[in-house]
Amino acid sequence: MSPRLKISKYVIERLLKSETCESTGCLYGLMYDGTLLVVGFSLEFFENEKKSYSQLLLNLPAEVELCGVAKFSDTPNLESKPKEILQDVDITDNPLFLTIDKEKEIKAHFLVHEKFEETQYDIFESEDLWKQFIHVRLNTVLPLTCEATIAGVKNVLQTKRKKIASGQVSFQIHGTSIYLFGIASDVGVSGTSTEANIGDLVDSWIPEQSSKKKKYHINNIEPVPVNLVMKATKDILSDKLVKTAVKMMTTQRKPAFCISMPLRIDTLAMIHRNTKLSELYNVLVEATCRSLKLLESILIEQLGQEGIGDGAGLRLPETFHYMPPTVGHFITRIVPKGIPDESMEKERKLLHEQLDLPLARPIFRRGNAYIFNSAKLINPHEAIPPQNKANVSVVTVRGKYTYYHYMQDNFNDDGWGCAYRSMQTIFSWFKHQGYSTVEVPTHKEIQQCLVTIGDKPSTFLGSKQWIGSTEVMFCLDTLLGVQSRILFANTGTELQTYTPELIHHFEQHGSPIMIGGGVLAHTIIGIEYNEDKNETRYLILDPHYTGGDEIQTVISKGWCGWKTSDFWNKTAHYNLCLPQTKPAI
Amino acid sequence: MVRTVYSPEYCLQYLEQYASQEVYVIGLILGQVTNSRENVIHLARTPEEKTDTSSEASYTSEKPEARRSLLGISETWVADHAKHVTRMLPGGMFVQGIFITSDEDIFEDPNFYSKVKSVLNYTYKSLNANQYMCGNYPDSNEKLILHMCTSTKVLTCKSIELGTGSKMSIKPVDWKFLPKPQQWQRLDCYYEFDDVYPVVVKKSGISVKHQFQQILESAHKTIESSVMFIDGELKDGSEALEQLHKKKKLKNSTKSSQDAPKSMHVSLFVPFENCLPETVEYLECDGNIHFSGVVASSVFMYPKATVSEAISAVKQDIIRSLASRFTMHCDALIDDNLLPEEKVCFNEPPRRVLVPVGSLYLCDYLFPGEAPAEALLSVKELLDLQITEADVVCDIETPADTSEFDALDRDTSSEELLATPQEASQFMYITGICFAMLVLIVSIFIHYYDGIATCLGNFFSRA
Repeated sequence: MSPRLKISKYVIERLLKSETCESTGCLYGLMYDGTLLVVGFSLEFFENEKKSYSQLLLNLPAEVELCGVAKFSDTPNLESKPKEILQDVDITDNPLFLTIDKEKEIKAHFLVHEKFEETQYDIFESEDLWKQFIHVRLNTVLPLTCEATIAGVKNVLQTKRKKIASGQVSFQIHGTSIYLFGIASDVGVSGTSTEANIGDLVDSWIPEQSSKKKKYHINNIEPVPVNLVMKATKDILSDKLVKTAVKMMTTQRKPAFCISMPLRIDTLAMIHRNTKLSELYNVLVEATCRSLKLLESILIEQLGQEGIGDGAGLRLPETFHYMPPTVGHFITRIVPKGIPDESMEKERKLLHEQLDLPLARPIFRRGNAYIFNSAKLINPHEAIPPQNKANVSVVTVRGKYTYYHYMQDNFNDDGWGCAYRSMQTIFSWFKHQGYSTVEVPTHKEIQQCLVTIGDKPSTFLGSKQWIGSTEVMFCLDTLLGVQSRILFANTGTELQTYTPELIHHFEQHGSPIMIGGGVLAHTIIGIEYNEDKNETRYLILDPHYTGGDEIQTVISKGWCGWKTSDFWNKTAHYNLCLPQTKPAI
Repeated sequence: MVRTVYSPEYCLQYLEQYASQEVYVIGLILGQVTNSRENVIHLARTPEEKTDTSSEASYTSEKPEARRSLLGISETWVADHAKHVTRMLPGGMFVQGIFITSDEDIFEDPNFYSKVKSVLNYTYKSLNANQYMCGNYPDSNEKLILHMCTSTKVLTCKSIELGTGSKMSIKPVDWKFLPKPQQWQRLDCYYEFDDVYPVVVKKSGISVKHQFQQILESAHKTIESSVMFIDGELKDGSEALEQLHKKKKLKNSTKSSQDAPKSMHVSLFVPFENCLPETVEYLECDGNIHFSGVVASSVFMYPKATVSEAISAVKQDIIRSLASRFTMHCDALIDDNLLPEEKVCFNEPPRRVLVPVGSLYLCDYLFPGEAPAEALLSVKELLDLQITEADVVCDIETPADTSEFDALDRDTSSEELLATPQEASQFMYITGICFAMLVLIVSIFIHYYDGIATCLGNFFSRA
């Protein structure tokens, strides 16, 4: 019997918006509760006879598997290319075939006994996706020592995968006494009931009272942290128990080179809330093996390169997880440590193309990586409930920024540091968008920068002097190479005339705007224009907040919120710093 | 509160027997300290010092005379005995002190008292020499002195604190004999090694001993950091072992409650290493080392001991066993070079066997090719016990299969392959048959020697 079908809203939107001239794509999905949920989509170019989807699969969270084909045509057919993909579908016996016709209508078919059967499908709303699915993140370090050859790396990693797949590992849910382990072909759970499911476990961590109190929340994904522990003892009851006493064998081989490094595994799995903990074991084994395969491909690619062929220049692989806003699932990338983002543009461009993502801005640079468990607030404005009004256009900052405000990091800048904080927020935006890997500068570093370029005398260092929009512009230029546009308004009322400019800025560049002048400095992170009333509202992020990084207070007290034009002082002058972006990947 | 020590009753007879037969006897007290009770498991007389026959000096007139007195005992001899006995103890058991049967009051006579202190000090230091042997009970420096007067058969026990310099406090100890044999909770596990290391030869060369030491260090770190499960579950460290059984019985109450406590199965899980340097090391090496196989561990705990006491005993046991094997192996090595002329070199340390002592098992080690009977000798010599060959449990570990070694050898030097596996086994097969045929012919010849001889005789005489 064919499974029930649900398709993530993200996939639907990506398929509808796609302007690709390719005709074939791959669909990725997961099974839960007798339902096939399509969560991902990529284009297939069939270049060099390589199946790029089988490699891309390693970049997806465990449990997400190839599930079918998407074709930009009116009817499904079994041409050679889609057929090849469909043959590789393991997750279900009846692979999925989506067609997107010229009228942008999406139809779904299951391939049953070589025949297409059209099927109904439900659209899985984005919010439900994050509520019903939980991410599990496994972190571990495996020491890797092997001969510095491609064969050496392959052998050792294959052995490691075999060990992991044969029940020699256990998983510990971090911070709990819950262990999952494999016994022979069975799976055991210690520390909680075998019937427990992951959703209830996650809920049990949130204190009940505070969950009621919490009115505002940012849709942050907090994965369940899992550790891997290696089983060092043998199963006494196993009939396959080999009891050979310890021995040591030394093999000479000269000259030989070997590499030794910590192999850092950082991998994700996407599972439904109702998944039982006992079912999680195999998911985690798969996640670990996926990560090892990805690590292997990175190491082998390096070993194959000229100059590193002998392993001398081998770099440590580093893992990054990405959640591009339109994609709707994680993409994990592993890159060699220390290689600048700029020199890996080719690989990123390919990934952009595969995922049908715009080529105008970075998405998979190091800085773009998803930020788990940030101490400071990230995008607090996302917690403000949206208001849908007619004839109102709203544009906000694009991508992530970190909210910087007074008193953070035990630094007392109350009364003078607002422009510095606003600048830090802008700086963090450039970092999170992948434009830069430079750390967000401190007040002192900002002052030092202004002294170095000759804008300020050396007495400025360590002072509590204010800075304005032009200083922010200088610093962004010097530290990030970012150009800014400066706008002047003689009064707060005049500011309204700039509404079209600001709308254009958020659409074109999407960076936060610093506003200062005769009065206090603020950060503008969005703008709303009501055509009917000819009214402009500003989304303001206030750096003068002195409290803790607590989303409830920040939103309810209006430290981040929509302000009317009355917010601006009618008599004071203003100047705005609009940081500009350049197209890049 | 006076420290109390519980001992099996046969120890009393053991002491009395020596007290009536010999002028003096010195030996070791073996036992286990737990928070709930201190148990002695065995008393083992230190064997008489062998006189060096090759040296003429030992035949001087005073020497045997001096050795007739306790004062003539060599401290290093006793310390050596303690070192050897420690190898035979499972984790959680230690040389807890010494016993002496003599006529003198060793606690009152200053000469004897200082001799006893010096013996204990030597033993203490020598047991501390190799940390991986876990020779001294880590939580206390107090050692026992048990004395039985040969004339009065009065038993006195005291404890003395060592390692504190000249000020050694001495305290009385209450020594109690248990009429019934002590019950023990046995915990078993098989700790597995399967590691490949690169060999990097420095100018000075590399020795097997050095390599074993490195393995020991890393194994110690790994084992100390590992998490231990008992019967597949993570247990609360403060819980008593016998409590675990009771809980289990409640669960499946159908079973009779009179079952003797069964062995508990231990599993160890090693968490990931977070202290590795964040760099890629690139080394020129001279080959690799494959260290593999198991350490069979059987630990015996007082049933009221806690889970955490059992955990440290198991960890100690694995490390101690590994250290014992390595030391024994290196002591017996002729060539200590890790990379000799041969392409592949095999180091097979002795394997562990269990030997029964009272109601539990201690262990011994057998070198490859040694028969279980060898264990009888060390048990007799070091533990002063008579056991039979059938008592030795020698299947907890198996000796390395040399065919496995051959296979690995072929694997690693495939270019210089001499014989394919099939050819090799065929060769073995043919050799075996030839040898069997030869034996058969010879035996037939011997059996019918008379017949053949007469026959031949007849033949020749006729001719």
